[in-house]
Amino acid sequence: MEGIKHKIMIFSLLLITSITVSAQSFKLPDYSSFKLANGLTIYLMEQHDVPVISVSAILPAGAIYDYDRSGVASLTATALKHGTKNFTKEKIDEELDFIGANVDTYASKEFSGLSSKFAAKDRDKVLVIIKELLLNPAFDAAEFEKEKSRLLVQLEQQKESPRSVIGPYFDTLLYGNHAYGNVINGNKATVGKLTVNDLKDFYKTNYKPNGAAITVVGDFVSSDMKVALSKLFSGWEKSVVEKENPASNSIKVPTENKVLLVNKGDAKETTFYIGSAGISRNNPDYVAIEVVNTLFGGRFTSMLNDELRVNSGLTYGANSRFNALKNGGSFVISTFTAVKTTEAAIDKALEVLNKLHSNGLDEKSLSSAKNYVKGQFPPRYETTGQLSSLLSQMFWYNFDKSFIDNFEKNVDGLDLAKANQIIAKYFPKDKLQFVLVGKSEDIKKIAEKYGKVSEVQIDDDIKKRN
Amino acid sequence: MKKIMFHLFLLLPLIGQAQMKADDVKTFTLTNGMKFLVVEDFSIPNANMYLFYKVGSRNEYQGITGLSHFFEHMMFNGAKKYGPKLFDRTMEFNGGANNAYTTENVTVYTNWFPASATEVIFDLEGDRISSLSIDSTMVESERGVVLSERRTGLENSPWRLLSQSVQATAFQEHPYHWPVIGYEDDMKNWTQQDLERYFKTYYAPNNCVVVVSGAIKMEKVKEFAKKYLEPIPAQIAPPQVHIVEPAQTGERRITVKKEVATPYLMIGYHTPESKSEDYYALNILSSVLSSGNSSRLYASLVDQKQLATQVFTDFGDSFDPSLFNVYAVANKDVKESDLEQAVYAELEKIKKDGISEKELQKIKNQKLMEFYDQVETINGKSNNIGTYEVFFGDYRKMFNAPANYNKITTAEVQKVANKYFTKSNRTVGILKTNVEE
Repeated sequence: MEGIKHKIMIFSLLLITSITVSAQSFKLPDYSSFKLANGLTIYLMEQHDVPVISVSAILPAGAIYDYDRSGVASLTATALKHGTKNFTKEKIDEELDFIGANVDTYASKEFSGLSSKFAAKDRDKVLVIIKELLLNPAFDAAEFEKEKSRLLVQLEQQKESPRSVIGPYFDTLLYGNHAYGNVINGNKATVGKLTVNDLKDFYKTNYKPNGAAITVVGDFVSSDMKVALSKLFSGWEKSVVEKENPASNSIKVPTENKVLLVNKGDAKETTFYIGSAGISRNNPDYVAIEVVNTLFGGRFTSMLNDELRVNSGLTYGANSRFNALKNGGSFVISTFTAVKTTEAAIDKALEVLNKLHSNGLDEKSLSSAKNYVKGQFPPRYETTGQLSSLLSQMFWYNFDKSFIDNFEKNVDGLDLAKANQIIAKYFPKDKLQFVLVGKSEDIKKIAEKYGKVSEVQIDDDIKKRN
Repeated sequence: MKKIMFHLFLLLPLIGQAQMKADDVKTFTLTNGMKFLVVEDFSIPNANMYLFYKVGSRNEYQGITGLSHFFEHMMFNGAKKYGPKLFDRTMEFNGGANNAYTTENVTVYTNWFPASATEVIFDLEGDRISSLSIDSTMVESERGVVLSERRTGLENSPWRLLSQSVQATAFQEHPYHWPVIGYEDDMKNWTQQDLERYFKTYYAPNNCVVVVSGAIKMEKVKEFAKKYLEPIPAQIAPPQVHIVEPAQTGERRITVKKEVATPYLMIGYHTPESKSEDYYALNILSSVLSSGNSSRLYASLVDQKQLATQVFTDFGDSFDPSLFNVYAVANKDVKESDLEQAVYAELEKIKKDGISEKELQKIKNQKLMEFYDQVETINGKSNNIGTYEVFFGDYRKMFNAPANYNKITTAEVQKVANKYFTKSNRTVGILKTNVEE
C-alpha cells in the first residue's frame, strides 16, 4: 500500500479525468405507487432499518394561490392543526407529543405540505390524525385569532434578521407581478385583514385529493399500508372544477440592472443577493447545472467562497444557487460583509461571475466537481424522511427514479464543452438584480453604481412589485 | 456554512432503547493515546470521520479569548504535505466534504466522504495533526473571516448578544464567562506564538477521540490509523482548568439594548456538569418545560396566556458546571416583567406539585424517537457515540441511557427543580429597544 498517497497526487496532476469517485451505483430502493378513485396518488417504500415511519403529503395549495390575500396559504396550512371534526387542538397536541410523533404542516411558494415522523408501532394513531388534519379541519375561530396575532408580531420580528427576509425581497424584485413574487408569510396589511372564513374558503378550493400525493416510507408492510391508506383517504372528495394555475403566466425577463436597497438603520453589515432568472425543475440540464454551480458557488472551494472568504477575508461565506420551481426559477449569489467593505465585496462577486464567463472551466476543476456531487449524493437519501420527501418531489415535479439511478451516469456524461455551454446559457452576465439589506446612509452611493436604485425601509411591509 | 460555531453548548441527542448495541461499536487505541471508535454500516456507500479534541473556550484566558475557535479555522489553512487550500481541494476532489465546530468544551472536525476515499481522508488528517503550518498571510485573511462570523451572528439573532451577556454575568470567574467566538479586540490581536503554543498543547493525539462510521471494515480503519496517525508523537497532558465558579449568592440581572420588535428574555440557572447524578432528571425537566405544544411553558405562555411568541429551554453538555436556560420572546404589548413572572409561576408549580406520571412517560417516549433519529444516519451515529465518550467518559453510557432515564421518578424531577430553580441561583437577561424606561 505504500505510495498510494503519492499516486493520488500524481493522478490529480496528470490524469485527472481518469479519477472518478464511485458511489457504487447508488439506486433508489424499490417503491410502489397507486391512485385512489378520487385522484389521490400514494407512494409506498419499505425501509426496515429503524422502527419509524415518515409521511409526506403534497398539495397544490401554496402561496401562488394567495392572489390578493397574501399569507392565506401559509396560515391555512398552519391552521390545519387547530382542531378537527373529531379532535380538539389540545387533544392533537397531547396525543402526538405523548408518543414523540411530529406532524408539521406548511405552505411553500407552490405547494402546501405535511410532514410527519413517528414510531412504527404508533402508525394507526398518527395516520388517523393526519387524515383528520387533511380532510376535516375545523378552523376554530378563537385559535385563528391567536395564530393571526402571533403571526403579526412574527412578521415584525423577522425584520430583526436580514438573512430571514432577503429571499422574499429578492423574489418581489425578480418576479414582479408574477405569482412567484408572492410572499409566503404575507405582510402586516394583508394578514391583518384575513378572517377565519378566508381560510375556510382557501381550504375548500385548494385541499383536494386530485393533484395531491401522500408518500409513506419506513417500517411497514406495503400491502397492509395500502389497505389502511385506502380506507382513510377514499372518502376525500375530489374537486369538480379545473383550477387555474396562477404561475403559468410567463415570467418577465429583466431588461436592465436593478437594485432594491432595504434600509436597516442599525445594520453593521450589508447582506446582499445578486441574481437573475434561473431554471425550472424539469430543465433537461438540471444535473449539469448543479455540477457547474458546485464549482461556481456550491461548495467550500467554489470560486465565490475562495475569492470572497479564503483570499480576501471579506466574509464568513459566499455561495450561489438555482432555486428551481415548476414554471421557472431564480439564480442568486448570496453573501454578507461589513458595511465598510460593501463595495469591495460586490465588486469581487461580479468579478468572479465575469471570470466564470471569460475563463470557463478546466478539466481538473470539472472532475473535482463531478466527484464531489457524486460523493455527496447518497447521504441526501439516507433517512425515511429524506426518502418520503424525495418521492413527493418526484410527484410534484414529475420526474422518476431515473433521476436517482442515472445520477452518476448523467454527472459522468458532462464534458468540458458542454459545461462551458451551460455557463453561457444559464449563468447571467448582465441585467442583474441586486438586493442590499444594510445602512442606506452609508451604502446608497455604492448601490447606485450597480443600477437603478429603489429604496424601502426594513420596517415596511414586503409587497409585490409591479 | 463550514466551520460553524455553536453559540452555547452542544445539544446532546437523547437516547432511548434501540436495536443498535454497545457491541456494534469497535474500539482500539493507538500507542500515542489516540482512541478510535468504529461502527461498520454498509447501508450507503459512504463513511465519515469525526475527531473530537478536548479543547474549547474554557481552555482560554483573557487576552486570547476566541482562540480555540480561530484555531479550528486555521486547521484548514495548510500543513506540510498539503499546503494552503489543499486540504479542502484534495478532500473535495475525492468526493468528500467537511465542517467543524467549536464550543466552550470541545472542538470537533467532521469529514463526510465516499468510503472509497477513506485513505485520503486519513492522509489529510495525519498531515495537519502532525505538521500544521501556520502561515502569517493566511492568519490575516482568516482573522477577517472570523470577525465576519462574529458580526453576522450578532446581526441576525438577538439571542447571540443576549446569551453572551447572560453568560458573562452568571460566570464571573470561570472561563464560561466569555463567548466562544471571543472578544473583538482579542480577535484582532492573536499572535503567531499563541497559535503555535495552542497547536502543541491541545492538538495532540492523546487529547483526541476519533469516530469512524460507514461502509468500511474495522481492519481497514485500523490499518490506516496505524499508518497515518500512529507515528504522531503524544504530548504531555494539557493543563487542567482549575477554576471553579463560586456559588452564586443572589439574583443577577442584566439589560441589553438592541432594536427589536418586542423584548427578549433569558433566564439562566447554574446547574452541574454532564457527569453529575442530576443530569438525567434535569434533562427530563427541560423537555417537560418546552418540548412540544403540550409542554408546560409553550402551552401556558404561548398558547393560553399569549404572553410570548416563542419559548424554549436548553440544558446542554459540559465538562464543568454550566447553565439551564429558559428563553422567551414577549408578545406585542406584553411587559417583559409579566412574561418573566409567568415563567416563574410555571417553575413554581413543578417545584410545589411535581410532574405527572403521564408527563414523565411522554418524555421517555420522546427520547426514544430522538434516539431513532440519531441512529438513522451514519453521521448521527458518529456524533452520538463521540459525544457520549467525551462528555460522559464512556461511549457505552449511550447504551445505558435508556435504563438511566427509566430510573428517574417524578419525585426526582421535582427534587432537581427545587434544588436549582431558586432566585439566588439565577441570572436574568432582558434585551429590548428602550432601555431607559
